[in-house]
Amino acid sequence: MDTLLTAEVYANSPRFRRRSSVFVDAIHDMPETQELAPAQLYSTESGRLFHSGRIVIATVGLPARGKTHISVAVARYLRWLGVKTHVFHLGDYRRSTVGPGKDVPDDYFFVNASPSSVLLRNKILKKCREDILNFLEHENGQVAIYDAVNPRAGGRQAIAKEFAKHKIETLFIESSCDDQRIIEENVRSVKISSPDYIGWNDMDAVRDYLARINARIPDFESMHEKDLHWVKIVNGGDQVIVNNCKFGYLSQRIVFYLLNLHIKSRQTYFARAGTTTEEESYKADAHLSEEGREYAKKMSETLFEHRKKERQAIIDRGGPDNALKPLTIWTSTRKRTVETAFDLADMGYRVRQRTQLSQLHPGDLEKMSEQDILDKFPEEVKKHAQDPYHHRYPRAESYHDLAVRLEPIILELEREQNDLLIIAHESVLRVLYGYLMACNATDIPKLDFPRNEIIEIIPSSYSNLAKRIKIRSLPEHIVPNSPDIIPLSAVPSISVSSFTNGDEITSGSATPSASGASQGSSQGASETPIVGKGAMVSTSVGSGGLGAVADADEISLPPAAQAEQDLESDPLPVREKVAINPTAQS
Amino acid sequence: MYRRTNTPNPPAAFFDNSNPEGERLRRAAASAAVDDMVKWFKNENSTIAILDATNSTKMRRQWIKERCDAERIETLFVESLCNDKSLVMANIVEVKTTSPDYVGQDPEAAAKDFLDRIRKYEEVYEPLEASENLTFIKIVDVGAQVIINAIRDYIQSRMVYYLMNLHIRPRSIWLSRHGESEFNLSGQIGGDANLSHRGQLYARTLPNLVQESAGDRKLTVWTSTLKRTIQTARFLPFEKLEWKALDELDSGVCDGLTYGEIEAQYPADFRARDEDKYNYRYLGGESYRDVVTRLEPIIMELERSENIIIVTHQAVIRCIYAYFMNMAQEKSPWMEVPLHTLIRLTPGPYKTDEQRWKANIPAVSTWRGKGSAAKHQESPLGTPGTELPEPVMKANAT
Repeated sequence: MDTLLTAEVYANSPRFRRRSSVFVDAIHDMPETQELAPAQLYSTESGRLFHSGRIVIATVGLPARGKTHISVAVARYLRWLGVKTHVFHLGDYRRSTVGPGKDVPDDYFFVNASPSSVLLRNKILKKCREDILNFLEHENGQVAIYDAVNPRAGGRQAIAKEFAKHKIETLFIESSCDDQRIIEENVRSVKISSPDYIGWNDMDAVRDYLARINARIPDFESMHEKDLHWVKIVNGGDQVIVNNCKFGYLSQRIVFYLLNLHIKSRQTYFARAGTTTEEESYKADAHLSEEGREYAKKMSETLFEHRKKERQAIIDRGGPDNALKPLTIWTSTRKRTVETAFDLADMGYRVRQRTQLSQLHPGDLEKMSEQDILDKFPEEVKKHAQDPYHHRYPRAESYHDLAVRLEPIILELEREQNDLLIIAHESVLRVLYGYLMACNATDIPKLDFPRNEIIEIIPSSYSNLAKRIKIRSLPEHIVPNSPDIIPLSAVPSISVSSFTNGDEITSGSATPSASGASQGSSQGASETPIVGKGAMVSTSVGSGGLGAVADADEISLPPAAQAEQDLESDPLPVREKVAINPTAQS
Repeated sequence: MYRRTNTPNPPAAFFDNSNPEGERLRRAAASAAVDDMVKWFKNENSTIAILDATNSTKMRRQWIKERCDAERIETLFVESLCNDKSLVMANIVEVKTTSPDYVGQDPEAAAKDFLDRIRKYEEVYEPLEASENLTFIKIVDVGAQVIINAIRDYIQSRMVYYLMNLHIRPRSIWLSRHGESEFNLSGQIGGDANLSHRGQLYARTLPNLVQESAGDRKLTVWTSTLKRTIQTARFLPFEKLEWKALDELDSGVCDGLTYGEIEAQYPADFRARDEDKYNYRYLGGESYRDVVTRLEPIIMELERSENIIIVTHQAVIRCIYAYFMNMAQEKSPWMEVPLHTLIRLTPGPYKTDEQRWKANIPAVSTWRGKGSAAKHQESPLGTPGTELPEPVMKANAT
C-alpha cells in the first residue's frame, strides 16, 4: 500500500505526470474516460465543451507569486465543470531531466545564458511541450495548463505562435506582485519547508530564498504584449487586467473564476451540524437537542484547541505570531447548523448564514424509513444504486443538482481570505469536499463524515491535503453519518462492484467508506496504479491500518511529505524526495 | 431620464462644463436620480440599481460613493473607454441618434450635436484610476482590454463576467424551431424523430426566409444535437455548430408520449405541471428552470457573438426569447412559438426589436394553453400555415 509517490515514480512515469495519493487530492490524476464531472451539465462526443476549442494556459511570473497555486486551482474548477484539463509543471520536467539532487546551472534563466544552459533549457521545454501537444491532440484534452516562469516577451510570442500552428489558443495568466508582505507570506507558507532550510529561522529563510530568486531571474518582463491573450492578476487580485480575451466562452469563464481567486494560503474546515430534536424531518427545521448542543460545544473546543496548537507551532518555528488567519464560519440557514455555531459566535468568531448551503432536498422521501422507501419506490431505489450521483428521487434533488446550485458557494470559497469553517449537512460537505479534493462524481455520494471528526483541508502549492481532527468523548450513537436520505444498504439484490454500502451505514468508525482502493485505477497499464483518487483517506486497509492512525488526534502527513508537496515549483535545488508510506507507521 | 424631465431636447451647450446653468441643472438631475435610487433601495426588496450617467469626474464619483457608503450600498463603477474613433462614430449613429434626446431631429444634425456634447465632456473627463479606491471595471475599446479593480464579492465578479461578454456592435439573433417532425404529427413530445414531409419543405424554404430578413449578412448557425434541428438547418449556407445545451427540455419518463397519454398515466404530474410549469420537473427529466441553467453558456456566447441563427426547440426558444425580451418566468413557458416561423430579435439600447417571418408551409400546432384539455390546440395568433402578410407581427419589449 505504498501509494505516495516518490521521486523515482515521477521520473520514470512516461509523461512525468503527478499522481495523487491517499491524503492528497486527485487534481493531477486523469479522470476516468467518459465519466461526467461533478458539475458538468452535458457531454459531447468529442469530449470538448462549449465550442471553445483547445487552449493552453501558460503562467507568467516570478517564483512565490502563486503560479502553481493558480494553475492547480484553475484546473480544479475546469475539471469540476467537465472540461478535460491537465497541469504540466515545467519544474517536474526540469528536475527529472537534471536528475535527483542536482540543479540546473546558475545561468539557466539568464537571457545571455551559456550555450550548454540554452541547450538544456530547450531540451526540457521541448519535452514538456511535446507532452502538452500529445494531451491536446491525442487524448481529447481541452485545456493544458503550462506552469512555468515564462519570463520573456520573446519566449511568450514563440509559445503562442507554436501552439497556433496546431489551432490551439494560448492564454497567459500572469501573477504580478509588488506587495512584499504577500510575497513573503507565500515564501513562508509554501517554499521554505524545503530540507535546505531545516533549522533556519523562518524570516531568515524567507530573505535568503528571495535573494536567490532575484539573482537567478534578473530579466523578468511583465506582460504588455497587445496581440496576445492574457490576464494579469496584480497583488493577488486587487486589480485584474484582461487583454484580448474574448476568443471563447471558456476564456471568459476562466477570467470569471480568476476574479474570485486569491493567492494566499488558508485552511478550510468542515463540521457536521449537531443532532436535533426531530432528526427525520426535513421540513420541521428543528432546534438542536441536548446532545446536539453538547456536540456543538465539544466541536468548538476541539477546533479552538487545534488552532491554538497550529499557531504555537508556527511561532516556534520563528514565524510571525499573526500567521494564523482569522476564522470565519459559514452555516446554512437551517436552525441545526446555525445553532451549532452558537458557541463559536460567543467566542467572537464571525458567522455568516448562506441559503445555498441547504442540504440535498429529500423530496418525497421526507420522513420515510428505508423500508417505506423500498416499498413505495422500488424502481427508484434500483436506479439510485446505479447512479447515486445523478439520480433524483421523486421531487428530490440529486447530488448533481446540489453541485450545480453550489456554484456561487464554490467561487466564494475561493474568494474567502480567512480560514473558513463550514457547518452543513453531510450532503453539502460531500460536494464541497469533492470539489476541493477533485473527487470523481461517483465517489462523492459515498464520502463519509462521521460526527466525531472535523475535516481540515490544507492547501499546499501542488494539491490540497485532507486531515481529520478527532472530537473526543462523543456519545457513540451520534457519531455515524446522518440517517441519509439514500438508504442504499436496504437494497438487497443490487451489486455494483465499486461500492459496499453496508459499511457506509454500519461502520461507525473513523474509517471513511469512500471507494478508495477498491476502485483502483484504470489508467494505462504502464502507469503506477493509484489508490485513493481523491477519496478522503484510503480505505483499502480497512479498520486495521487506518484505525491505528486514527488513534492519534490528527491524521496528518509527516513533515517530510509536506516538503515533498511544497518544494516542486521553483528553480532552486531540491533534495531527493522521500518515499512515505503512512500506514507503515502503524 | 432625470435630466430629460426638465430639458427634454437639450443642445450641446447644456453639457458645457463652464455653463453654470447647465452645471447646476446637471447636478440637480444627478442628485434627484441618486435620491430616488436610495429611496428605491429602502422601500423595496431591492438588490441592484443601475445609475446610468456619465459620472466623468473624480469628484462626482466620490460624491456618489459617499452617498452610497452612508446608506450601506456597495458601488461598482463601469467605465467604457473608447480610443478607436471609428467605433465611437458608429455607436453615435446607431445608438444615440435613436435616443429620446433627438426625437424628431435630423440624424446628421443629431450626430453633430452629439459629437459636440462629447467634446464638452472630454474637457473635464477623468478616466477611472486605481488611486480613487473604487471598485470598478474599465472596458477599453469594446473589450480589447478590461481592467478590473478591487472586486469585493461574488456578485460583483458575476457582473464583471457578464459585462466582459457584452459588445455594442449592432447585430441580430434569429430563432427558428425545427420544421414539423414526425412526432409533431402524432402529437408525441420529446424523442429524436425525423422531419415530416412538410418539415422538409420548411428546411428548403428557410434559407430564403433568412435571406429576406438578414440580407447578405454572414450568419453562424447553431443547432441542437437532435436530428430534427440538424435536418432543418442543413440548407443554410453558413458555418454550423451543434450544441448539446440546445437540446429540447428532457421530458424524462414522458418522453415519446402524447399529452393525452401523460394525463392518463401521470394525472397528478399533468396537473402539477400546469400549476407551476416553470419549476415543474418531469420525472427523470428537466424543468424550465433546469433548461435555463444549462443555457448559461449559450446566453454568454450569444452576448459575445454577432449574427447567429439558432435552430432549436420550443422550450429552448421560450427560454432564450424570455431572456432577450425580459419576459416573466411564469409567462414564458406558456408562450406560443409556432412552427415554420423565423423570429428575428435585434437588441437595442432601449429595447429589443422583434420581427417574424412565416413560411407558407402548413404545420400542426404544438401549443397547449394552461389548464386546457390534454391536446394541442389551434394557435390564438392565427392558424399556423395560413397565408399571412409578412412580416406578421412586430413587437417591442419594454
